[in-house]
Amino acid sequence: MLEDLSFSINERDFVSIIGPSGCGKTTIFNIIAGLLEPDSGSILYRGEEIESLRGRVGYMMQKDLLFPWRTVLQNVLLGLEMKGVAREVAEARAHEYLKQFGLAGFENAYPKTLSGGMRQRVALIRTLIMDPDILLLDEPFSALDYQTRLYLEGVLKDAVETYNKTVILVTHDIDEAVALSKRVVVLSGRPARVKTVHTIDIDARSPIAARSDSQFSGYFHALCAELDIQTEKTPAGTTT
Amino acid sequence: MTIVIRDTPSLQKRKRRAAPRLAALDTTIGRALVQAVAVAAFFAAWELGVRLGWISNFLVGSPVGIFNLTIRLIANGELLVDTSYTLFEAILGFVIGTIMGSLLGLALWYSVFVARLVEPFIVAINSVPKIALAPIIVLWFGTGLVSKVALSVSLTAIVALIAAYQAAKDADTDLQSLLISMGATKHQVFFKAVVPSTLPAIIATFRINIGFGLVGAVVGEFISSQHGLGHMIFTASSLYDLNTVWVGLFTLMVIGFILYYVIDIIERATLPWKLSSTTHQVQV
Repeated sequence: MLEDLSFSINERDFVSIIGPSGCGKTTIFNIIAGLLEPDSGSILYRGEEIESLRGRVGYMMQKDLLFPWRTVLQNVLLGLEMKGVAREVAEARAHEYLKQFGLAGFENAYPKTLSGGMRQRVALIRTLIMDPDILLLDEPFSALDYQTRLYLEGVLKDAVETYNKTVILVTHDIDEAVALSKRVVVLSGRPARVKTVHTIDIDARSPIAARSDSQFSGYFHALCAELDIQTEKTPAGTTT
Repeated sequence: MTIVIRDTPSLQKRKRRAAPRLAALDTTIGRALVQAVAVAAFFAAWELGVRLGWISNFLVGSPVGIFNLTIRLIANGELLVDTSYTLFEAILGFVIGTIMGSLLGLALWYSVFVARLVEPFIVAINSVPKIALAPIIVLWFGTGLVSKVALSVSLTAIVALIAAYQAAKDADTDLQSLLISMGATKHQVFFKAVVPSTLPAIIATFRINIGFGLVGAVVGEFISSQHGLGHMIFTASSLYDLNTVWVGLFTLMVIGFILYYVIDIIERATLPWKLSSTTHQVQV
């Protein structure tokens, strides 16, 4: 599935991975997160070879994966329970995060009663509160409507800057990749290879501001062109 | 700018389809009224049939006779004694069987190897009609309380086991993956993801199993007993005392009814997250 795939990520980097669907982006994430074992290859982390980053990554997917039987607060506390953090400490931290993300007052609500955007915010808090070294975001906003997505992109970018996180984002949305990332890795179709790595040099405050930056459309079209060439090479069944 | 909608056929159709007369009855009181009328009509027709000689009082009994007998059996305490025997056996069998079955079913999640190994045996045991075991169970466990409980356990345990095992297998793997990526152990995945997600299925088996618990108790009493509603029904029917048979049957019905609602309360208390939405059915 994956072949000769190698890229490096700096600390506090924001890297997006784009590529045709089914090219193995989720597989890469599962390997990094330690959910799958690679047949070969290695992960170097801060200069050391490691098996996986299990327990050190924050994984967020398209589905919010909130536990339906847990309240908002209990969902947020999930990762800290796993780490064995003392209840009072964990709860204090959870309340702080919930307040910061505008979810104060919803602590005892069940996920079923929240909107999609709110649920994804809870999922983001659950990821951030564990203080992971790397955030792995697998199309986290693709199930949301455009307005909510724009809003959450802003929330994400702020949070990443506040907490100094390293982020790897898988997305189908070139627009989102350019607006959020510092670098964009373009993958080719199966077996996945790194095609090019683009450095995005937009110094905008928010993802919305980035979209009106003079360089934005240049990057956008460059990335579109990269993906277009691929669709011509492998015409059947590839969509971007 | 103006928007003109020339015809609205779909809207008109909707309105016509609604039945206003039914809607008036579709309230809690309205439904209770219809139900009460239906029950009253049924018993009135039965009683009338017996009085006019269309139905044999000897073979089917009569509502008035059943009613008078019920009052007498309640007054002399016989009904209460029999009911408490059966109820105790059924509940004990239900609790032991359901807990044992659920725990075993959940435990099978831990080892795929063991689960695959025992699967055909579970299917084999399940395919035996457990009622057929009743005579042996009475031989083994005697004619007292234990044999009835054992029969109830044999009926309820296998249902709970299969339901719990299936639910554990179907538990959302994405939630489990998420926990693993957070560094959870197998133990934590089991208790934080698998067990809670099987609870609705396990509680759903309570409803089925409460019925099976009663079946076990009553059939056990049929085979051999000194007390209980099964004993009451069995001896009365061999004496062609149909009114007594009906008293036993209606008492069983009432017990089943009450237990069903008790489980409803248990469900509400254990699964509050299931009930946080108000719409539970799509209107077609």
